[in-house]
Amino acid sequence: MNPAARAQLLVVGAIAAAILLVGAYLAAGGSSYEPAKVQDPCKQRPWRNPESLQEIAQQFSLSALDGAACELGVSREKLARALATPESRERFTKRYGIGDAQLARAVRAGLVRAVDDAEEAGALNPLIAGPLRTTLRSIPLNRAIELINDAEALLDQAQGFLGPAQDLLEQFLP
Amino acid sequence: MNGTPRPRVAALALAVGLVLADSSIVVLALPEIYRELDTSVAGVTWVLVSFNLVMALAAVPAAHLARRVGPGRTAAVGLAVFAGAGLACAAADQLGTLVAARCVQAIGGAAAVTAVLELLPATVGSERRAAGLWAVAGATGAALGPAIGGLLTELVSWQAIFLVQVPIALAAAAPILAVARHEAATGVLSAELRRTGRPHVSANLALAMVSASIAAALFLLVLLLIEGWRLSPIGAAIVVSAMPLSALLGERIGRQVPSARARAAAGAILVSGGLGGLALLPKATVALTMPPQIMVGIGLALVLSALTETALAGRAPQAIHGGWTISARHAGVVIGLLAVTPIFTHDIAEQRKDAIDAGTAVILDSRVPPLTKIDLARKIESRLEEERGKVPTIGSAFEPLPEDPEEHDQVVQLREELQDQLDRAATHAFSPSFAIAALIGLLALLPIGLARRVEL
Repeated sequence: MNPAARAQLLVVGAIAAAILLVGAYLAAGGSSYEPAKVQDPCKQRPWRNPESLQEIAQQFSLSALDGAACELGVSREKLARALATPESRERFTKRYGIGDAQLARAVRAGLVRAVDDAEEAGALNPLIAGPLRTTLRSIPLNRAIELINDAEALLDQAQGFLGPAQDLLEQFLP
Repeated sequence: MNGTPRPRVAALALAVGLVLADSSIVVLALPEIYRELDTSVAGVTWVLVSFNLVMALAAVPAAHLARRVGPGRTAAVGLAVFAGAGLACAAADQLGTLVAARCVQAIGGAAAVTAVLELLPATVGSERRAAGLWAVAGATGAALGPAIGGLLTELVSWQAIFLVQVPIALAAAAPILAVARHEAATGVLSAELRRTGRPHVSANLALAMVSASIAAALFLLVLLLIEGWRLSPIGAAIVVSAMPLSALLGERIGRQVPSARARAAAGAILVSGGLGGLALLPKATVALTMPPQIMVGIGLALVLSALTETALAGRAPQAIHGGWTISARHAGVVIGLLAVTPIFTHDIAEQRKDAIDAGTAVILDSRVPPLTKIDLARKIESRLEEERGKVPTIGSAFEPLPEDPEEHDQVVQLREELQDQLDRAATHAFSPSFAIAALIGLLALLPIGLARRVEL
């Protein structure tokens, strides 16, 4: 092969190799290899087959976080981290200029939304949902945060209350 | 002249390799220096930038000095200064001291490396052979630098990089002393001074652009491996060895093609293509960095030697034009580092936020029991506080793993999903910088296309 042909082959080979590599990495998803984007907390998320009490509690907590985050205009993830410890909560309220009263209102609104979602998903009996909403609308902030972090106890008590009440109702219903 | 040529040729090649290795030898030690001297990413970049900046500024004046004072004396004194400053670098306990010592090291290095180009023709018999040997010694040093630096950092410490250079510099200076003594006795140089021709503008401009692109590639890849993917310096050294090893292949390919312009163009395309691949990594896996690294390695061997030969061909005196190529290369390294550093430090901070949100979403959506989630959230929150400003490591937050088999599996799966989000963030943070470096490499095709045809 003459020197001119070798020179041409070298340049063409380099172009082909570059296109092949970039094309292969693009085809393998190189342009979208990045962290997952967080969802808008104001958008409704469907509950995923809640079967056990623990799973219902998890979905309840997530709905409550979504509701509170939507009220505050932050992501559910940011709020979850903020509510993890008293220190992180303080940093969060300071950074976003949120007072305790505003945070309490948002967390309560979140819990009420969680009751709505649970009722809609068929995970919470409508008989208990109403009184639960009323109770949650005036619950103290620290207790409300505890409920978001662990809703199992609340739901357990609710079901415990509902059991005899439902038995009673069924006796009177045709 | 006194002394046998073979040890002197070896000493001269060693001097060039040693000095040019220094422009990249600390790359793998930067994360260690960053932690030990408690500085910022932007601050630690100056350990690299200062050396290259001073080399760029000092190369041409040093070449003139070598022609006036005598290349033997200049090279010997340059190597002694380089060794002394190396000691000061090793002793530095503050970033400012280290950067100052690196500047002095660069002055000594510039004097040595340009003076050597003036000594080589008489030692090897022809200017063309001298230019070839000088280019190969420099490229070898620059290519091997990161791997050697990584090994020394891992096995001993970052200070060892500078301490090891001291005896090597003195060993390289020893055979040159005979030439220096001869110059002192005869004073032959003033009679040999010739008028300096204009430097080859397009070749040197292309050299600067390609060097910017290559320096950014090396710097970013090392930071990605060590800071992003958490490899040890020795692990990263092994991984980035793919580039110098491929450069050997590139050198063999280059020998088959006489056209310097074709080699330069092909090399620039390969470097840019490799960087494009690194910008589009589809997964955080070392294996996927290999094809791009091989392309960059072959490309750099082709383009650097072709452009250096073009810049030196038919031009006299060699030391001055060699000084211009050194100046162009190191200016390019500085531009490359300064161009990408603010971009990737900003992107790392942004990706850190996205990674934390994505990681939290993974924890929230997992089926791990709520109390375990809360415990994990607290531990991860404290890890984030400890590693402020970096993409965090979260492995320790999962220890100890739950004993219940079902919960154990859920937590392990959660840890993997979380790690995947962090890997995605770390890798993605470097993508725009790699893409910019690729673009700079491609733009080098313009001066390469404009360069006057030089067939060697």
